[in-house]
Amino acid sequence: MIINHPLLGPRDSSEFYHLGDATLIDRPNREDVNAAEAFYEYLYVRDNPAGKYCELWYHEQGDRSWLVVTRDTTTHEISEVKLASDEARARGRSV
Amino acid sequence: MVDFTLEPKAVLDGFDKIWNSTRLRELTELAAVAVSVPKDGAVALNQKLKAAYGRNVPAAGESFIGKGNTRVMSFAKDQFMILFDHAAHSGIPIVEKKLGNTGYYVEQTNNWVFLELSGPQARAALERVCPVNTHVDKFTVNRAERTNIEHMGTVLCRTGDDTFLIMSASSTAGSFLHALETSMDYVSQ
Repeated sequence: MIINHPLLGPRDSSEFYHLGDATLIDRPNREDVNAAEAFYEYLYVRDNPAGKYCELWYHEQGDRSWLVVTRDTTTHEISEVKLASDEARARGRSV
Repeated sequence: MVDFTLEPKAVLDGFDKIWNSTRLRELTELAAVAVSVPKDGAVALNQKLKAAYGRNVPAAGESFIGKGNTRVMSFAKDQFMILFDHAAHSGIPIVEKKLGNTGYYVEQTNNWVFLELSGPQARAALERVCPVNTHVDKFTVNRAERTNIEHMGTVLCRTGDDTFLIMSASSTAGSFLHALETSMDYVSQ
């Protein structure tokens, strides 16, 4: 499987480490009143769709960047790859 | 008291072997310094780098040869490595003289083994063990990538038409050499 890295171009998936659902970017605030419920959902509840799925991949044997990869779980077709840092900024989670 | 002296030794004892006209050899007198660009410090660092080596920080995946046969390689955003001929164990004093305190430096000289693979079978040998596309039109001269060869982390840089600088951790240099030697044995049969 080839992942088209936003900075480095097409790279073999063997260079990457797969973490899982990209909702992990949205870590709850531990001081919220409903933090326990939010963390339960954050850690354990996944949509697990048959189709397009946003995942976190780490370029461990490359530039050490985290990526958000949109992959179709039924075909492995990758439709979008973004730097996780850009995605986190877009969600207001980083400066 | 035991009377002995310690002498420096190359990681692979200066390995050098030729298969027909393709050569794999260890480069034994290279220093390496990793540089990180400080937050909001790119302008100052680029000014120093340009004065010292002739160019700005290369884009991720690119490298250039600067003054004094120095190679500046970038594998990631805001991070690059400087390689230069230097027999001592520390390259940081040399880099600090040129770039001052405009970057964050980490000594890399003894962490890596440096190999050069050169000749008509070089690409064929790499194809067997490395996932990077080394086609002449894709992996152009001065392209530099972090990748893997078999299971070992690698830096691969094309330094000439059929010449590649290949770096890996010095701690696993023997296994790394074995992977390359075995690949060369297969493609040269």
